[in-house]
Amino acid sequence: MLAIILTLQVHAAASLTDAMRDIGAAFQRATGIAVSFNFAGSSTIARQIESGAPGDVFISADEAQMNRVQPFIIGSTRRDIVSNELVIVGERDLMKAKRIALADPRAVPAGVYARLYLERIGLWRRLEKKVIPTENVRAALAAVKAGNADAAIVYRTDDPNGVVIKDGPPIAYPAAVLRDSKSRAAAMRFVEFLRGKEARAIFTKYGFIAK
Amino acid sequence: MIAFTIEMALVATALLLVPGTLVAWLLARREWRGKTLVETFVMLPLVMPPVATGLILLQLFGRRGVIGSRLGFDVIFTWRAVVLAMTVMAFPLFVRTARVAFEHVTRRYEEIARTLGATEGRVFFTITLPLASRGIVAGAVIAFARALGEFGATILVAGNIPDQTSTIAVSIYSLVQLGEDHAAMSLLGVSVAISFAAILASELLMRKA
Amino acid sequence: MRLVFDDVRLALPEFELNASFDVETNALGIFGPSGAGKTTLLEIVAGLRKPDRGRILLDGVEITSLRARVRRIGYVPQDETLFPHMSVRGNVTYGVGQTFLSGQTRMSGPHWIDDLIDRSVAKLSGGERRRVALARAMMTNPRLLLLDELLAGLDDARKRQLIDLLPRPLIFVSHERDEIAALCEHVVSIDRGQCSPPASLPHTSFSLASRPQLNR
Repeated sequence: MLAIILTLQVHAAASLTDAMRDIGAAFQRATGIAVSFNFAGSSTIARQIESGAPGDVFISADEAQMNRVQPFIIGSTRRDIVSNELVIVGERDLMKAKRIALADPRAVPAGVYARLYLERIGLWRRLEKKVIPTENVRAALAAVKAGNADAAIVYRTDDPNGVVIKDGPPIAYPAAVLRDSKSRAAAMRFVEFLRGKEARAIFTKYGFIAK
Repeated sequence: MIAFTIEMALVATALLLVPGTLVAWLLARREWRGKTLVETFVMLPLVMPPVATGLILLQLFGRRGVIGSRLGFDVIFTWRAVVLAMTVMAFPLFVRTARVAFEHVTRRYEEIARTLGATEGRVFFTITLPLASRGIVAGAVIAFARALGEFGATILVAGNIPDQTSTIAVSIYSLVQLGEDHAAMSLLGVSVAISFAAILASELLMRKA
Repeated sequence: MRLVFDDVRLALPEFELNASFDVETNALGIFGPSGAGKTTLLEIVAGLRKPDRGRILLDGVEITSLRARVRRIGYVPQDETLFPHMSVRGNVTYGVGQTFLSGQTRMSGPHWIDDLIDRSVAKLSGGERRRVALARAMMTNPRLLLLDELLAGLDDARKRQLIDLLPRPLIFVSHERDEIAALCEHVVSIDRGQCSPPASLPHTSFSLASRPQLNR
């Protein structure tokens, strides 16, 4: 076990929580560089970065939130890492559900993807008033588990038992090194590690789609 | 949304008046075994992180919760949750102020009333309450101001559903998250103005007492 | 009246109140320096404080456990005790106002309060306040009147005015020997909580025969 040389601060979308913890541990075993995570809705993280929050790497759950922080990242380090799918948990027939929990469809990627999907199939207008916006995708899942919402649209990685939405929008998780990172080289190494074989295996284990 | 917030805060304040006055009076005028426990319990929402209080309310009033499952209607994610969070968070503030008001009522007046034949109820309504009224009103104003600004518990139990449970405080948070700083600051201004007016009114009332 | 204090004890911050006496009288004085426990003694008779031990009997009936509300004992405490949030009329008629919520009725009290009945409480002089407090206590037709330093700080003319209004029986607390002598038939002295046996007093300048008797 190598001694810890330094610690990277990584901001990652909430949906990556479980996979990232394992990947962080693997990275430390391989390089001696520890990883400290901040998991939150991607829009929350984007907001924090805009306000000057320190950090080394940002992994967003969609392109939009990464685009939002474009001035704060090193553009050439931006890479797509994994993909995901949407599922419906709880009441499958959304028209029957009284309350549908979605991560805030205005900004949180999971909710945005869900809204895009519902808009595309023409159901958004009718379902909009039943929507309960939550701060992140895990909160939407928790609402259904607790019984306070009848249905939710979350990632397949959040609930493998959900009904997969086959024709959902393409989901991408871009990662990038932050411009103010004090350890750019180490941060870049981490981003590359995310695309490597070991990380891909971990992602797949948790249900992500790693090409 | 601003009107909604004010309405909900008024409802919350109205709801806590009677129980709050009763509890404040009991704490001011009566002793009993376990009184300290009651005092602590009442003051909890004041010292716990609001989200912690929100979590407890979520557990109790959720559809599967001990209380929530027995009601005929939904609380979580509805306006009722807004009122609930506001009432619970403002309650200890009101009780604290009202209690002090009761403690400041000269006991001699109550004693004289008793020697003149007044029942405890008559003593309370004709002597104690009128003499404490200024402080009680001040407490209600503070409670209202607290309810208006309630965020931590509200966001957990009521969420931020546009046109249904969106309050000023929660909206400010949401606008900040979306990067709409300008709108957030405007709303912040409204919030500060209302709170300022409420606190000022409360101070003036207490000073005259 | 006959007032019995049977081994009454009450622990106070500085000393223990210890009162045992049996006296048959129309006007009992309680004499002692300030801080001796005189007011506490009065509060026990009024039913506002419970002794730790002992019994109190009034006219042969034990009143120890009776609440103040039912004792029918009028109480005029020391200093400012008029209800500040009511008018003079409200104060005076409080004891006979039957309505649950209101302290006021259309009644006016004894004739000797007429000149004050419509005044506001805040603007009364010391002597006038005492007069109102007295009227308030007497309005409920008590069977005994308790007076704590009623005459303290008043000039002779005011004192005389008040004394003329006093009914019997009464218990009068004072640290002034003269006042006790003028008013009382018997006196109990108290010092640091210890009560002396009652002594009878020779009648002096005031004729007591014409004093009104309270309803028993």
